[in-house]
Amino acid sequence: MSAGTPPLTGPPNPQAKALNCPSCGAAITLRSFQQAVTVVCDSCHSILDAKDPNLQILQKFAVAVGEGHPLIPLGTRGKMRGVDYEVIGFQRRSIKVEGIRYDWHEYLLFNPYKGFRYLTEYQGHWNDVVVCKELPLISSSALSSMPATANYFGEIYKHFQTSDANTNFVLGEFPWQVRVGEHATVTDYVRPPRMLSSEKTGNEVSWSLGEYMYGADIWKAFNLSGSPPEAIGVYENQPSPVSANVKYVWASFGIFLALLLALMIFFDVTARKELVFHSSYQVIPGESKTEASFVTDIFELKGRTSNVEVTTSANVRNNWIYLNYALINQNTGQAWDFGREVSFYSGYDSDGSWSEGSDHDSVVVPSVPPGHYYLRIEPETTPRHPNISYSVDVKRDVPVSMFFLLAFLALLVPAVLISFRALAFERSRWSESDHPPIKLSQSEDDN
Amino acid sequence: MLRKLYLLYGIVVLGGAGFAQYRGMSLDKMTELKNVPKSVRDNPGSYRAVYMGYHHYTGGK
Repeated sequence: MSAGTPPLTGPPNPQAKALNCPSCGAAITLRSFQQAVTVVCDSCHSILDAKDPNLQILQKFAVAVGEGHPLIPLGTRGKMRGVDYEVIGFQRRSIKVEGIRYDWHEYLLFNPYKGFRYLTEYQGHWNDVVVCKELPLISSSALSSMPATANYFGEIYKHFQTSDANTNFVLGEFPWQVRVGEHATVTDYVRPPRMLSSEKTGNEVSWSLGEYMYGADIWKAFNLSGSPPEAIGVYENQPSPVSANVKYVWASFGIFLALLLALMIFFDVTARKELVFHSSYQVIPGESKTEASFVTDIFELKGRTSNVEVTTSANVRNNWIYLNYALINQNTGQAWDFGREVSFYSGYDSDGSWSEGSDHDSVVVPSVPPGHYYLRIEPETTPRHPNISYSVDVKRDVPVSMFFLLAFLALLVPAVLISFRALAFERSRWSESDHPPIKLSQSEDDN
Repeated sequence: MLRKLYLLYGIVVLGGAGFAQYRGMSLDKMTELKNVPKSVRDNPGSYRAVYMGYHHYTGGK
């Protein structure tokens, strides 16, 4: 610093001021100096006027046995958003919904240069809360079923809940006239991970902006021992672990689908689809007891190791033919054994005409190396059958669309599951709001 | 993490589909045999078909 530079000015360095409770005589430490309006005696829980040099008693309240102490003890210092804060106040508040009381905790943090901020905790869910810099704009929805919204710096927050809050327990010091039993109408608007809250007491309305925080981050910020309480359920502004991924996953699915189609077209265009064998046969009545098996002429399968499609077409009408096939390599003795049925039935009944089956069948023999092959064929059919004609086609290297269909389903299933998970998370979130999702059982009951 | 997993999964699925098609794989049921004797060509009846007698359906509505 140069000699001509004036010394930096600013708020005085914080120093705790020691006083005594006029009710019980216990020592009281004021941490926020002139900022405190009320201070609560840690010993007898009398609420005192911090502006009064004699600490006039404003309220005495009974503390229930087993009243929980703050998870972050008063006086604890920590770093929030890069700024040092000290916990100077704690209050327990509650709302009643359908006869059930829901309690949450609020911690008042103070920095002599930055002022106040709050930490709220409900069932392991934390929020870092600051007072709004500007009044949000509220818009009521034209549709009664749609929640109202609040616009804050261009961001739209959806109405979540309006309820009457009650202050049940206070500790430490506060920059306002805190009282146990104090009522306020609290309205929450959410846009995860943030939420806007308005508190109306009489004619006074105050707005605050909260951002969801994880307990582990709070514990780290305040260097607390042990572990934070486990978060239970879904909180109103808790960011969904999967919602942010839904758009990405569907966008990726679209790209994968395009690539899959391209791959399918590529293989369809480049596949040989070469007809290497074709022949027609007959099963004649009265010959079923003689040796039915026979072998075909030898045909050559060219190219790389690839599949072979064997197609059987038969003139079956209300009949069937079953063919035992063996595709045999003439030189190596390697063979693929398989059986195929061709059957077709049709008729007419009270429902009209019907049919089932087909007069042809295809099977794909996998990964057949190039070489010279023949088919051993052994037909079976009913003992009393008409003359059945059938033909056999053998094609080398055909595209198998089933792989691409399976790949499509394999890509689709995770995307659908992620979407359902995100939907379930949002349903869980809004089920606790004034705008719960419609339940199927409820709508059935209504009918 | 989920994004990377899905990306990796998608690549594996596409690669798998492409590989299966390239290698000429199939989902049809069949049995591969080794060392079928050359005599089968001259005497087809000596070969015992694996799926012989599998047909039991008599058909019709």
